[in-house]
Amino acid sequence: MALWLVFFLAILAWVVARQTSAVVAASTLGDLEEQRGTLEARQAELMTRIRQARSRKVLIPRAAALGLRLPVDSEIIILQVPGQEKR
Amino acid sequence: MAKPSVRLRVVEIAFALGVAAVVARAGQVQLLQGATYRARAEAQRTEHVVLPARRGTIYDRNGVPLALTREAYHVGIAPRELGSRARAARAIGAALGLSARAVGRALAKTYAFFQGPFTATQIAPIRDVRGVHLTHELTRFYPSADFARSLIGRPAADGRPASGLERVLDTLLQGRPGSAVVLRDGHGRMYESPGRLNAFPVAGDAVYLTIDAELQDIVERALADAIERYDAAGGDVVVLHPHTGEVLAVASRRADGSTPPTAFTSVFEPGSTAKIFAAAALLEAGLVGDADSVYAERGVWVTPYRTFHDDDPREWLHLRDVIQISSNIGIVKFAQRLSPGQQYDMLRAFGLGAPTGIEFPAESRGTLEPPDHWSAVSAASLAMGYEVAVTPLQLAAAYAAIANDGVLLQPTLVHEVRSADGKVLYRQQPVPVRRVVRPEVAERLRAMLRGVVYEGGTGSTAALSSYELAGKTGTARRATGHGYAPGEYTATFASLFPAEDPQMVMVVKLDDPRGAYARITAAPVTRSVIEQTLAARTTALDPRRLGTESAPAAGPAVGTGSVPYVMAWPPAPDATPPAARTVPDVRGLDLRAAAHALHERGFEARIKGWGP
Repeated sequence: MALWLVFFLAILAWVVARQTSAVVAASTLGDLEEQRGTLEARQAELMTRIRQARSRKVLIPRAAALGLRLPVDSEIIILQVPGQEKR
Repeated sequence: MAKPSVRLRVVEIAFALGVAAVVARAGQVQLLQGATYRARAEAQRTEHVVLPARRGTIYDRNGVPLALTREAYHVGIAPRELGSRARAARAIGAALGLSARAVGRALAKTYAFFQGPFTATQIAPIRDVRGVHLTHELTRFYPSADFARSLIGRPAADGRPASGLERVLDTLLQGRPGSAVVLRDGHGRMYESPGRLNAFPVAGDAVYLTIDAELQDIVERALADAIERYDAAGGDVVVLHPHTGEVLAVASRRADGSTPPTAFTSVFEPGSTAKIFAAAALLEAGLVGDADSVYAERGVWVTPYRTFHDDDPREWLHLRDVIQISSNIGIVKFAQRLSPGQQYDMLRAFGLGAPTGIEFPAESRGTLEPPDHWSAVSAASLAMGYEVAVTPLQLAAAYAAIANDGVLLQPTLVHEVRSADGKVLYRQQPVPVRRVVRPEVAERLRAMLRGVVYEGGTGSTAALSSYELAGKTGTARRATGHGYAPGEYTATFASLFPAEDPQMVMVVKLDDPRGAYARITAAPVTRSVIEQTLAARTTALDPRRLGTESAPAAGPAVGTGSVPYVMAWPPAPDATPPAARTVPDVRGLDLRAAAHALHERGFEARIKGWGP
């Protein structure tokens, strides 16, 4: 009888420990998901700002204000990497 | 008054009856109606919910996200649950961007709700504030609000994709929703119950478009500038990769700033840009030799049906000269050597009058009537690019066939599809539609198009100093619902860059520009786009395959093959005659799939009869 009681208590303790671990894992998962969501939102905001800053709509007027202009094709020199052959 | 013993007996009986009634009712509830009440309790305590799947991201060809899904929140506030109301109000106002007055007004209510949606960054400071209740949802986000807007599409008010690629690719992007059972407390509040998750949501696939974001930005900006500079009613630009059929950039814009997808849906008469198709038919049929010429009537040719004019009066013209100076009289006289069937078949072979099969909703098929519907002047009109209507995309695809040694490819917008875990599910491969002309004919056509950009050609304003370009101008009268609008033209320039081993085929079309002629409107826009592309950090052009020799200042004999440099990719001789067109087997397919398969191969499907 005592053996059965010990066995029962052991099973009970194992179940409780497993449930506790699951709850902790679920809580950690929730926190990580929150962090991921926050980071994704931050990434999206930064991405938007970068895209806006890099767009020609923003860059060209600023460049023109600095006296810069787009080069014509004869002013563009494409450097070939030494040893790299044309396909 | 009864005896006490009697009264006690009555009380005992009454009590016993009461207990019996309770037991009987308990038995009725527990045993007879137990199942019903258990189900009702379960329904009150739990709820089956759909877990939305994260919609797949749309990227450009280089992995730049164009449309993605992010988490957003609605914020509910229960003022009675707040600890320090003043401190909470300050935090809420700062996080949600509300004034102190607005927050104060909201907190005066029993329950305040802010629809938002607010980003995770915004709500982060108040996420753990007691009394703040967040409702989570997934929303679509476009990093650049106006970037390729009509191409990518947008969701409708109900959240469903309503237009563009969002709609076409919805089955790939939407993913598979999951389901779960959540518990409710006595107040109806839901608690997540991880143990009752029935099915995990599966995120949608990621779609990599063929669009190059850098080139798209260049094209959109150049088009907007051109519409403003030339006071045009609108315009379109399409850039294709000639050897894969991939659409590298596509922009459409109206003067009012709207961006309907007219490059796919709106047709126009291509005018002189279609002269090259008549030349292709003549060369393919062997009806014109190098030495053949026609008399160009010094610029005016009066026929019983119609009078033809040339802007550049000449006498005798070879076919290459006809293309170079865009002579109407010359092309009409040469085209008289073609039978209506030959002329029609070549236009059809280039894909005119049939949808290209691109993955975009409501693509227009254009207009091309068969010879039995032609009038006495139709052959001449078609040779000059009238009585035929094309979309800018169709025109670009047709020119891409010339650049691709005579093989027409199906244009496409989807480069790759990957599952949420990164596995490649689909990768674009060129889809040949048909061989339109032999490679040697395509080479001669390219040589003619190079002549257009030489000095003396109608496209010389597109010429670059260091790189050779090939192209064809087209200035066509604009058709409205009541015939041709007086003084209104569509200016078009279709180009291949570089002329040798083209990497880009571009069509620039401007509607009713001030200055009208393509050589002073559309051609310079093409040059500007190419110059910006050369200067940009885009992968749309492979610099290793760009020649850097200047185009000749004076127009040399076009078509003689006097290329001032040698490329490492000589076109392989291929004397194979045009392959017979094989009709795809559509037996067993449903009507829509069968029509699509036929259209993809350039056939016209006509439905007769009906049945299951």
